[in-house]
Amino acid sequence: MLSVDGLTVRADAVELVREVSFDIAPGERVGLIGESGSGKSLTALSLMGLLPEGVRASGTARLGGRDLVGVPEGRIKDLRGREVSMVFQEPMTALNPLMRVGAQVAEVMTLHGRPRAEARTRAVELLDRVRLPRPAQLARSYPHQLSGGQRQRVMLAIALANEPGLLICDEPTTALDVTVQKQMLELIAEVAPALLFITHDLAVVASVCERVLVMYGGRVVESGPIREVFTRPRHRYTEGLLAASKLTPRGTRLPTIKGSVPAAGRFPEGCVFSNRCPHATQRCETEPELTGEGHAHACWHPAD
Amino acid sequence: MPTHAGTPLIEARDLTRVYRRPRSSLTRQGEAVHALREVSLTVRRGERFGIVGESGSGKSTLLRLLCALDQPTSGSIRFDGQEITGRPERALKFLRHSLQIVFQDPMSSLDPRMRVRDLVAEPLVALGEPVGGRVGELLDAVGLPASAADRYPHQFSGGQRQRIAIARALAPRPQVLVADEPVSALDVSVRGQILNLLADLVDELGLTLVFVSHDLSVVRHVCESVAVMNDGSIVETGPVDEVWAAPQHAYTRTLLQAVPTLEGLL
Repeated sequence: MLSVDGLTVRADAVELVREVSFDIAPGERVGLIGESGSGKSLTALSLMGLLPEGVRASGTARLGGRDLVGVPEGRIKDLRGREVSMVFQEPMTALNPLMRVGAQVAEVMTLHGRPRAEARTRAVELLDRVRLPRPAQLARSYPHQLSGGQRQRVMLAIALANEPGLLICDEPTTALDVTVQKQMLELIAEVAPALLFITHDLAVVASVCERVLVMYGGRVVESGPIREVFTRPRHRYTEGLLAASKLTPRGTRLPTIKGSVPAAGRFPEGCVFSNRCPHATQRCETEPELTGEGHAHACWHPAD
Repeated sequence: MPTHAGTPLIEARDLTRVYRRPRSSLTRQGEAVHALREVSLTVRRGERFGIVGESGSGKSTLLRLLCALDQPTSGSIRFDGQEITGRPERALKFLRHSLQIVFQDPMSSLDPRMRVRDLVAEPLVALGEPVGGRVGELLDAVGLPASAADRYPHQFSGGQRQRIAIARALAPRPQVLVADEPVSALDVSVRGQILNLLADLVDELGLTLVFVSHDLSVVRHVCESVAVMNDGSIVETGPVDEVWAAPQHAYTRTLLQAVPTLEGLL
């Protein structure tokens, strides 16, 4: 369904994402995890053709036989919101504050050629589908009148409006309370056709996805089925991340990864994690390839 | 228990805070919002006290009142025996001295146009105290090099910025450190570093810690006692291990179940 091959994103001379390749089958839910600066959001934005000015993507990404990367805006505009759509992190900034939410849901359909009246009726159905209460009345409200969770449901309704083949969610629940997050995650898992789910929260990705890609320094350093990657991590970064996210009892030291994530363009040559890795040797000055069928890793000194 | 051996340091009684929404009609007053409803709590000397709640629970309002950044509609707060509500700012100097805050987002709590040296010294300058070599001491205490003093906040990562915010809070040698979601804006790999640092400083300096979070599992790692807030009230309070193991209130149970954990999912 989605097939990404050798996706590289650059801003001038700085390489922000390097040679990222992965596939998503129809109905499959794939997680993309990484910390800030890992390149996960840029990966998603390049699939949407929404990279900021001065940032360019190369490589290929094909969705159902159509190219998403390196095509002119006129072509990608046709696919965006129809074949592939996205739910952003901050619904307050992603929604138009001056437009009623029903109209915003309808807009994405009229833009792709649906008659206005039909779009309006369907917008209310969609608001109902994302389980918003009293959808007909709610369609007439403005974003500021809704709670954060409700706004994010509106975003999801917009994303689903044209029944896209692929849904991308970029930290859709980070701004939400935990109880609201739980409902939102259940809803996403239920309605998504094929899903690329971006988050920094390992527990969130484990509750939604079947497969996971771990990104660090603009590269995929490990990938595989969630259960395998999270119970038997091979890459030392994944291993450190898992250890750091477990909260040990009070009075004990929390395991940490030394240092902090370097700024873009400041990652070491070779293995991008080598300057923070407790197992790094001279060998790590050359870049390890992502190897392995199913559960793959890019590390010269893997765990186990 | 050693935690309850301390004498009460912060005692809040029946705190209520009512905000008014802006009026929407000429003839009627704006709607009243009860942000806090008769909340009482006691934080003892040397205790690590957690406050847990979701947005809208009143935890931020409570925190603002405890730090005397806002006045309650009714109720009283005694800090070390002295009433702090209803006082003008000039009569709160002892509190500014004894109680300092670390905010959630070090990106917005540090003035981007000030050098780290001035940021860290600011509380001392504001209280009219000599700065001397204190900045260097403080930066060292939070694990930053002395050279950091000449740089600006944007030159640091999120975790380092939170270290700067902690150094600044410690500048006047406070008795109480109030931390409002200090790790929520940080990446997982640096969260542990900051939590470890806070624990070390609280131990070394004998601080009392008030730690606010939406995440009960973080509070469980850091604190001995916890108050769970919902809709402007404390719905449950007690030793954090008891609240964690056997939550009494329905809301606490909902909160615990809602947080996804790796252990639970794999």
